[in-house]
Amino acid sequence: MNRTRNNPIADDLVRPLFHTSVWFYGSAAVLATIVLCGAAAWAYQIWYGIGVAGINWPIFWGFYLTNFVFWIGISHAGTLISAILRLVNARWRRPVTRCAEVITVFALMIGAMFPLIHLGRPWLAFWLAPYPSAREIWPNFRSPLVWDFFAINTYLTGSVLFLLLPMIPDLALIRDRATGWRRFVYGTLALGWQGTTKQWHRLESGMQIMAIAIIPVAVSVHTIVAFDFSMATVPMWHSTIFGPYFVAGAIFSGIAALIIAMAALRRLLHLEAYLHPVHFENLGKLLLLMSLLWAYFVFAERLTVWYGNEPSEMAVFWATQAGDYAPLYWTMVVCNFVIPFPILTLRRLRTVTGCVVASFAVLIGMWLERFLIIIPSLSRKPLTYSWGSYSPQLVEIVLMVATFAAMILLYMLFSKFVPIISIWELKVGNQPHPPVETADDELAELWKARP
Amino acid sequence: MAYRWGMVVDLDRCTGCEACVTACHAENNLPTVGADEAARGRAMHWIRVERYWEGEFPDVRVKFRPVLCQQCGNAPCEAVCPTYASHQNEDGLNAQVYNRCIGTRYCGNACMYNVRFFNFFHPQWEKPLQLQLNPDVSLRESGVMEKCTFCVQRIKAAKSAAKAEDRAIADGSLQPACAQACPAGALVFGDLNDPESRVARLSASPRGSKLLEDLGAEPKITYLHRQGWHESNA
Amino acid sequence: MKAVYALYTDPDAAQQAVEALRGLGVKERDIVVMSSEPFEEYEFSHRDKATWLHWIAGAGGVTGMVAGYLLTFTTQQLWPLTTSGMPIVSTWPNTIIVFEMTMLGAILATAVSLLITASLPSRLSVLYDPAVTLGYILVGVNRPDEPLASRLDEALAGVPGGQVKTVA
Repeated sequence: MNRTRNNPIADDLVRPLFHTSVWFYGSAAVLATIVLCGAAAWAYQIWYGIGVAGINWPIFWGFYLTNFVFWIGISHAGTLISAILRLVNARWRRPVTRCAEVITVFALMIGAMFPLIHLGRPWLAFWLAPYPSAREIWPNFRSPLVWDFFAINTYLTGSVLFLLLPMIPDLALIRDRATGWRRFVYGTLALGWQGTTKQWHRLESGMQIMAIAIIPVAVSVHTIVAFDFSMATVPMWHSTIFGPYFVAGAIFSGIAALIIAMAALRRLLHLEAYLHPVHFENLGKLLLLMSLLWAYFVFAERLTVWYGNEPSEMAVFWATQAGDYAPLYWTMVVCNFVIPFPILTLRRLRTVTGCVVASFAVLIGMWLERFLIIIPSLSRKPLTYSWGSYSPQLVEIVLMVATFAAMILLYMLFSKFVPIISIWELKVGNQPHPPVETADDELAELWKARP
Repeated sequence: MAYRWGMVVDLDRCTGCEACVTACHAENNLPTVGADEAARGRAMHWIRVERYWEGEFPDVRVKFRPVLCQQCGNAPCEAVCPTYASHQNEDGLNAQVYNRCIGTRYCGNACMYNVRFFNFFHPQWEKPLQLQLNPDVSLRESGVMEKCTFCVQRIKAAKSAAKAEDRAIADGSLQPACAQACPAGALVFGDLNDPESRVARLSASPRGSKLLEDLGAEPKITYLHRQGWHESNA
Repeated sequence: MKAVYALYTDPDAAQQAVEALRGLGVKERDIVVMSSEPFEEYEFSHRDKATWLHWIAGAGGVTGMVAGYLLTFTTQQLWPLTTSGMPIVSTWPNTIIVFEMTMLGAILATAVSLLITASLPSRLSVLYDPAVTLGYILVGVNRPDEPLASRLDEALAGVPGGQVKTVA
């Protein structure tokens, strides 16, 4: 079998770009409709005022901020994990990187929408940007929201570049295979990539630096999201543990999202030859590690509050532990620990299906965690006369559902325009002796065929 | 010398009549939101009278505590605002610049006294109520935070009048609407920088304490504790 | 003759072709190798000199840091507004902005210099053959000197598996 003329890696991975099934159009139409409903909900909210949402006095932040923290957390799947794996040179990362990095870019875009959606006057959101204005006042750099603005923009810029730069060789590959408008579009996007030794060398060393730079940025992003809460003296928000706690939670939910996305790609695009059980096995172990870390952080946080026995904090503590919010709290514990722990510990259960089940539980659990951090504290501030309660309204629910639909839709569309697995990186990965367990028949044949 | 406005709330005098609340609504163009919205937590009262019950029926006692913006020196609400809408002005007041507010509502979360209010909808007045709006106070639009200003419009007017006549503002000549309306004289307003002012002397009372003082926000409102009637007779 | 090149399926053959060209006295910088993957374990992929990319990234970081410093520390003094009893120039929070600007500077500098030094975007050179992205390795010489040109064909064809093509 001649590898060069009959290139199954490229053929398999490029196929989805040229062949689209009716199912794709159908589901894209359904998802787009949901996204449009979300847009309509937002327009409705802007028109009538943000009072159509469930937020009230004194719970000024609700579902929107919960979703903000959740999506920014999901964004920690891609670039961060991909950068770490790139630096430690983990060979199994190669089919995983791009589909992970895409999650980051889209989840960040969606996450960054929520602070805008939740603004009382969203049309003035650009006042957060530092530019010399007629008002002669610059943003208040002491505000955590301005830190957010800078951190998210840096991370988004970095993640987009981190995704796009290694995509150039693959775009060139499609350029050379495409005809008509595709050839023009991909030819333009490929920037005239030729694959000279110099270009490869610059790309590799540039990506190495990007990987080093993006890791501290990713950590800073979720730390600063945590600072949005921990800078306020609100009970159970004002905690030094929040930075690392949020970062760990973000990576936790990020890996879960990645596992689900990979399983979907594997099934829908028939990529069984590239996304092996061993990838799920490895990511499952990582998910297990983060589940344990999450449990550790929650225990450390809860124990400290309980032991300190400070009245205003205890009000929030008991509201979540045994009060109004207890059902949600214990669901969270079940989803984040009780379900994933046995699945991911027992080798027999750590299959593709097992990992996906655990990941869905983790996503639900981590969403609840963000909700339980924000709402109970605001509803139980020290002056008991001003305690409150919150229930989400239809707009908030529609917008939330719409963002999930938007994520799936964007991901689907991306996988239609760019190979979701990096073709050239996969080829590189095949050069050294392959570990036996990752090889299925087709790939093994390929390696044998290598000159 | 700069002014530093402060207030003393004598809990012994407060009868919980809520005249202060009404006066504040009238003076500061506070919209009423209706029963349904109020039940959903959208009511706006820059000053509120908190009621706390003590004891078991029938031996129940009610305590009243008027709570308004504490005009903190180290106000937690200020630094978190990304646009400087919330900041400390030259008289030590927590100023809220409505035009600069983009509605992140972060200040409302950071405020531990929950004395910041949000315009969830565009405020409306049923005709002919719009005719009684105070022309000295700007109306706030939907999506903007607002809070007690110590009737800053009265402070500004008094300051320019005093400056025109080249004198200081006399103690007691300037009052916010709530203090003016209080029939029991429970609210005393004045300049804390003037050691002879009533508010400065009452603030030093051994009965005085600050609300949530241990948070270190340095509130400028002093609450005078209630005393048993037998003690005061003694 | 504008250019001459050969396509190989085997990286070892490509390596031999590069050495054959060197044997003819073709200058190192005139030898062009194109491939669909980096082939890091072959000598021909290491002909590029060490890059200044790390230093450029560092310089970008320093630029970002200075920009962040100026942005925060000067704008706070342009219109001093007190909040929460914090100093007008608040070093602790400003550090966060300075950090983000530093990283942004480093990332942008890396990306931009990566593109510039890899001459992207550019037009495809006459040497380029779409077979490269199919998996062939292209070894060639652009605008060879006349006396040398005729011998290049033989040298490239001398390596087994080579398909020699010339661009007129």
